[in-house]
Amino acid sequence: MSRVNPMRPQQTTSSGLKRMVLQANVKPEEAHAPKPIRSPAKPKTRVLVIAHSDRGALDDHARQALAAAAILADAETTVTVLVLGELHENLSSAGADEVMVLPELDFQQFQPDVELASLLAVIKSMQPMRIFMPDNLIGDGDLGRRLIAHSQLTTATQVVEIDTKHVASYQAGCSVLAVCNLPEIVLLAANAVDTDLPFSAKATHVDAVELNHASGEYQDLGLQTSSAAEIALEEADFIVSAGNGVQNLSTLETLALQLDAAIGASRVVVDDGKLPRDKQIGATGKTVSATSYLAIGISGAVQHLQGIKDCRHVIAINRDSSAPIIKRADLSVIGDAEDIMQALIGEIAKAKGANA
Amino acid sequence: MSLQRIAVLVSDGKNPVSGEARHCRNDSLALQVGLNLVPDLTVLHAGNADNPALQDYLALGASHIDVVPTNGDMVESLAAQLQNVDLILTGTRAENGEDSGLLPYLLAAKLNLPLVAGALEITQSGNHLEILQFLPKGQRRRVRVKLPAVVVVHPLAAVELCHVHARQILGNITAHPATNSAVHHTPWRIDTPRKPIKLKAPLVQTGHERLMAAITSKNKGGTVVNDGNCVEKAQVILNFLREHRLINY
Ligand SMILES: Cc1cc2nc3c(=O)[nH]c(=O)nc-3n(C[C@H](O)[C@H](O)[C@H](O)COP(=O)(O)OP(=O)(O)OC[C@H]3O[C@@H](n4cnc5c(N)ncnc54)[C@H](O)[C@@H]3O)c2cc1C
Ligand SMILES: Nc1ncnc2c1ncn2[C@@H]1O[C@H](COP(=O)(O)O)[C@@H](O)[C@H]1O
Repeated sequence: MSRVNPMRPQQTTSSGLKRMVLQANVKPEEAHAPKPIRSPAKPKTRVLVIAHSDRGALDDHARQALAAAAILADAETTVTVLVLGELHENLSSAGADEVMVLPELDFQQFQPDVELASLLAVIKSMQPMRIFMPDNLIGDGDLGRRLIAHSQLTTATQVVEIDTKHVASYQAGCSVLAVCNLPEIVLLAANAVDTDLPFSAKATHVDAVELNHASGEYQDLGLQTSSAAEIALEEADFIVSAGNGVQNLSTLETLALQLDAAIGASRVVVDDGKLPRDKQIGATGKTVSATSYLAIGISGAVQHLQGIKDCRHVIAINRDSSAPIIKRADLSVIGDAEDIMQALIGEIAKAKGANA
Repeated sequence: MSLQRIAVLVSDGKNPVSGEARHCRNDSLALQVGLNLVPDLTVLHAGNADNPALQDYLALGASHIDVVPTNGDMVESLAAQLQNVDLILTGTRAENGEDSGLLPYLLAAKLNLPLVAGALEITQSGNHLEILQFLPKGQRRRVRVKLPAVVVVHPLAAVELCHVHARQILGNITAHPATNSAVHHTPWRIDTPRKPIKLKAPLVQTGHERLMAAITSKNKGGTVVNDGNCVEKAQVILNFLREHRLINY
């Protein structure tokens, strides 16, 4: 529980009494002092973090692998991150001392032979002491296993616990927790590491290696994306979610169609019979992991927030600026749901028209 | 070249509650994917021929199961049985043992074959396979791979399993003699059952910082937009989506 700040704004009344000012606009906290830089001045060893990017950014899981490397690195170890796919963000707060980007190795392209050969070339030139990768389904789990099979290094996959000495992972059908000494290749399961770092790093750009050529064994015949309405809510990448503050569900449906988003709902909406039960998101509904979650007229009760804890970007539209969803959301727009949805529909149509 | 010899690797699963031996569902899916391609398969298990889990695979369509012992290196003993095979099918993750999902990769490297993981559907075209591959977020990808190859079947592969008791009675299991080879494994130890501990960066704080952290609540919310008319607010949302590359218009 957070306690009341005894230094919060106050006035002195005419009788000389001090009175706290309730609901005063609390000034945003003064910008934090910049975090100390961790990057070693005289590096002796190096650890390598390898991950695919998604739309120019590293996702949470990849950042956890990077954070693990940075936390475990000692004062003479450089953390180098090799990003496969384009990168449009700065990784210094994520703990990267050096960044190498191979933009051609996007996860949507299937070219495991090129990826593995390029990886082996990077490893050969950098001689890392240890390698960290997220054990995910967008290609890092696959690539990591290919690397393991082609090297004689000690390894652990689906690591759920890690520290300076050991790693642990579930085995025998998830019935036992097995531990071993910290291996040379670590494939991390999601959420085994806290990405909050008390330091930042230099994130120096390193020149990329030359790519190797394909072996001709594999050929990519292209992606098949199904429209958002066809796939299960748990798999959806963009969800527009309706709460009790939505008067007009048909507006929301139009908006979802325009954004190619799946539709979700809070329990109140489902209980009212406006949407089927399988659309309910939350503790007693579905747990979703969309990249973007647009919460419209949802107050953000804990039971609802439980269901969206893995969503990356939460945007809230709400009339009430003190609703709990505002604390969770990365962007909150205060106003009437219907008006803003209508405006959004108009703006999207305009933007799409301008592009076409 | 056409698909003639397909080998399916099956492991022994167990019921997560009772611990009773049973088939591993994902491996059964691999078996069924293979049966849909050719009627007669080589089914291979490394372990014990008496394992009751193997009876399940007979009922699910394997007419014959070859069992190799595991007193040596499992990859080595499986690879010895898998020479001249056109296609090797496996599941994604076993339920008994290390469950690392590494076995198909080690095998492919040992036999020097290409490998495709996450297969939902497999069709043959000449001396290639076309595979529908699982990607998260509702995406699927079509890839082509040259035969011979190793294909790892995804747990969501859309095939029907069919348990027939008569097949269980008719099927047979052959145990092969041991081959000797070195074991090359990470030395795992079983720990006491507990919750894994999350790795956190140690925070060095001065007394004043700790006091401030205790009396002020950390404001974690994002940007809040109060001003402007509806169109401006809609623009803010669109800009946010554009900035994070969530839309491309
Ligand atoms: C055991 C248990 C399990 C539960 N499980 C779940 C669950 O799985 N999922 C779930 O969602 N809930 C669950 N709940 C219910 C949960 O506690 C909340 O009651 C529910 O999430 C509230 O839904 P809401 O935000 O849509 O509605 P409300 O709480 O009514 O909030 C409506 C919001 O819309 C805003 N609003 C109103 N009108 C407008 C307008 N015109 N324009 C803009 N904004 C407007 C309001 O400011 C308010 O913030 C559970 C409850 C319990 C007790
Ligand atoms: N003992 C075994 N015998 C035969 N195949 C196995 C065995 N163990 C694992 N496999 C296969 O390898 C896949 C991945 O297993 P693992 O790498 O142990 O998680 C399984 O789905 C099986 O298809």
